[in-house]
Amino acid sequence: MNLAHLHLLLNHFPIIGTIVALGLFIASFIGKNDDLKRSSLIIFAAIALLTLPTFFSGIGAQRAIRRDPGVSTALIDRHEGAAMLAVFFMLITGALALIELWRRRRIATEKPWSGTLLAILLFSLLTAGLMARVGTTGGDIRHPEIWTVKDMTQETGLSAFVHIFEPTPSKFTDLMLVSKYWWAFMMDLHFIGLALLIGMVGILNLRVLGFEKRLTGASLHRLMPWAMAGFGINVLTGTLAFIGMPSYYAFDVAFWLKILAVMLLGLNAAVFYLTDAFQSVERLGPGEDAPRLAKLVAGSSLFLWFAVITLGRYIQSYADTIH
Amino acid sequence: MVPPTFLRTIEDSGFSTWLRESESPFAFYFVLLFHTFGLALLVGANTVVDLRILGVARDIPLAPLKRLFRIMWLGFGINALTGVLLIIAYPTKALTNPVFYLKLTCIAFAIWIVTLLKDRVFDADLDEPAMMARGATLAKWSLLLWIGAITAGRLLAYTYRYLTYPC
Repeated sequence: MNLAHLHLLLNHFPIIGTIVALGLFIASFIGKNDDLKRSSLIIFAAIALLTLPTFFSGIGAQRAIRRDPGVSTALIDRHEGAAMLAVFFMLITGALALIELWRRRRIATEKPWSGTLLAILLFSLLTAGLMARVGTTGGDIRHPEIWTVKDMTQETGLSAFVHIFEPTPSKFTDLMLVSKYWWAFMMDLHFIGLALLIGMVGILNLRVLGFEKRLTGASLHRLMPWAMAGFGINVLTGTLAFIGMPSYYAFDVAFWLKILAVMLLGLNAAVFYLTDAFQSVERLGPGEDAPRLAKLVAGSSLFLWFAVITLGRYIQSYADTIH
Repeated sequence: MVPPTFLRTIEDSGFSTWLRESESPFAFYFVLLFHTFGLALLVGANTVVDLRILGVARDIPLAPLKRLFRIMWLGFGINALTGVLLIIAYPTKALTNPVFYLKLTCIAFAIWIVTLLKDRVFDADLDEPAMMARGATLAKWSLLLWIGAITAGRLLAYTYRYLTYPC
């Protein structure tokens, strides 16, 4: 398995996943089904997370075929530009889904509609459309049999309109490298996000593991939006840094292990919120000991977050380790 | 102006050269990694205390958060040690950059605030509203100074005049 293989494996998830989640989301309004709505929001968030390695593996797929005479660089650039735009819409959709999931848990709302739900509908519709375009433009690279005109970079109608908003990959990269102070600022935010995230997640995990039992689980869980704010800052600044130096990150084994650890953290969060672990932490009163499952989830969360820091720190030292 | 020669003396030492040039994963990047761990522990724990004092997640009882001061001191200890090692690895790079002194100033004040928070807020036998009232200004400065320290630290990687002693 190489990065091209990984890209071909992952690239179905953002497209089909968004459509499936969107379908469930709309069905939940028609059927007035709250569980279905919750499921669709969870899928949006999960797909947003999976979109990251899909996007990051594109550079590897590009390197694998760029010397092939039958492959057009212009078509690859069009696909990459489409992907850049779709990724940001996907991340916004995922973030909105997490906000709504948090809001629903805190406030027992009777209202069928809210601003957040409307925003999710809007952004997921746009994301689904943009993702479909990413898939089509990606398919065009290697499949001349689906070409409708001789020169596929000549766009008409809706495609031409969407293309106006798509960045040119090399220009986006240059923009990120325009000044060392802009780069320093992004890295600065990445470290501030790290401190915020580790602080908030760390105290909750430590309490579940038995540190300072006077603290209750439910009260500490109120810190999660701040942890997610830190995570959001870091996904954004991390993605922008990747766009700034794509080949520096895309062929680095430490970078990929870091992304793998982030994916496992997503899985860990799913285990936490979708099993008894969450309820047991919410009920965790002063002096009480958490059950084993909750401790296991808290321990793996701490371990994985410190693994993320470790792997991130070793990126420079393992540059260009994947060939 | 030529940098003082003691910087070159440090740089030429075997330990400094090893830290800087060794291919071992336990040399420079290992020190840098623990400097980041220390940052996460110190600033992360302090941020929890600061935000709670400022009214975030009010359900959390304030008094038990005193335990977090131990984590802060652990983080500070790691970073004081790894910070010295980083200076030994690149003395000219750090000590000829004005940003380095800005960073140290931010840290000095932030650590002073850690001690003030402990003595005046957590050890003063106050009730919660009084703790929050007395700690509010300290907490705001604490957050600001840590952002300053991290920012200055990040800038050190990009704004130095000399990487090593000029020949």
